[in-house]
Amino acid sequence: MRPALLFLCAAALPAPAVAANQVALDNNVFVERVSTDPEGKQRILLEEPKVVVPGDRLVFVLNYRNAGAQPADKFVITNPMPSAVRFADAGDTQPLVSVDGGKQWGLLADLSVQAADGTRRTAQPADVTHIRWAFQKPIPAGATGKLMFRGVVK
Amino acid sequence: MMIAPVGGAKHRLLPSCTLIALLAALAPPMQANAAGTRAGSTISNTATASFDTGGGPTTIDSNRVDLLVDELLDVTVDSSNPADVPTTPGATGQVLTFSVTNTGNGVEDFALSTVANAGGDDYDPAVTQVYLDNGDGLFDAGTDTLYTAGANDPTLDPDESITVFVATTTPGTVADGNRGIVSLIAAAKTGTGAPGTSFAGQGEGGGDAVVGSTGADGEDAGAFVVSAATVTLVKSASITNTLGTADPIPGATITYTIVATVAGSGSVNGLAITDNIPADTSFVPGSITLGGSALTDAADADAGDYNGTRINVALGTVAGGQTRTVTFQTMID
Repeated sequence: MRPALLFLCAAALPAPAVAANQVALDNNVFVERVSTDPEGKQRILLEEPKVVVPGDRLVFVLNYRNAGAQPADKFVITNPMPSAVRFADAGDTQPLVSVDGGKQWGLLADLSVQAADGTRRTAQPADVTHIRWAFQKPIPAGATGKLMFRGVVK
Repeated sequence: MMIAPVGGAKHRLLPSCTLIALLAALAPPMQANAAGTRAGSTISNTATASFDTGGGPTTIDSNRVDLLVDELLDVTVDSSNPADVPTTPGATGQVLTFSVTNTGNGVEDFALSTVANAGGDDYDPAVTQVYLDNGDGLFDAGTDTLYTAGANDPTLDPDESITVFVATTTPGTVADGNRGIVSLIAAAKTGTGAPGTSFAGQGEGGGDAVVGSTGADGEDAGAFVVSAATVTLVKSASITNTLGTADPIPGATITYTIVATVAGSGSVNGLAITDNIPADTSFVPGSITLGGSALTDAADADAGDYNGTRINVALGTVAGGQTRTVTFQTMID
């Protein structure tokens, strides 16, 4: 297994196929592994997902880049959760989420879901079906950035 | 409804590599649930970006990442006998029931084995057969399948369980109250080992097989307790005659008293007291009693009878700690 932190930093400057419109979105997935060193300290490594089993924590990393000459306005990145992955968190990137297949969006804490008995309860990370980051200001030409979220293989 | 990511309007790398590492360090490790996503299935992720660079709204897709879900090897064994199963010395076909569950996420064969000599008990039950249940949960040697290791190892889908019966013989030498423990072990045929051990390319669907938190083998114990009873018979006799003495002269009446005492935690089934009428004496008709109550001589609804040569009193099932007293009389010829 390749130590992943190096890999992740290297991925900060991706070189994906750049579309004609000069904006690119690159998608990487890593597996978080916990290992305990001889001193008993736990270390978290991000590895390439060569082996993935239920219960594994996946880290999804999205790198965007505006390689064009014009600012990209109304910039929105949307990632539907794979059905076999339960959303865990998105670090401090504060995405909008949907718990109803993409119809309504909001901060997770503001959303609710209907239980089988008709009552509504506060939405939990496991209810998330889509994640979205919506930028208030245009992405300047040449700018890059990175977003991430974590999920657990169901 | 638009909100900005962290930092409001500024664009920057979110989050930094260091930050990811820090967040990861704070997150608790997750345990695998039972079964989970089926081995061999694919997790696909694609994100989209929409924006406007002056030419109108545009949407692009990211590259797609496909992950093959590998097989997690996990199994649990549970004893289905909530309490010790009663047995008796020398008894055959004494059965313990277990449930074997594939808690991994792929179809898997499991090898079964038993251990009866691990200690912690008073005796070692002799395992004679292992049977795989036919689905009704009830042991029946005629309809359940005799298990032969390596020949018909049970194949279980994720979350599927099978009931396993372990048939044993109780040694004849055990004493009342002795316990005998038998464990059933189920091990994934693909392999077992420390959690995380990987078997490349051997998972369902072409991925790897990875040992889960159970070590890919499971074990649980069931126990027998010997519930035995012993019977002690004490016979006494008293003589009365017309002289008012206890001398055994012709015409004297002998009253025999037989006390049956049952001891132990078990009970005795089909207990009967039979006594031949001694030579040179004659049975006194209607003299049989049980617990002080008279019994008729005929072989009928009551427990006693006299057939011309012996008396018999059927006591049926008598539990440990109880006594039965039978009396009858003869006359010296």
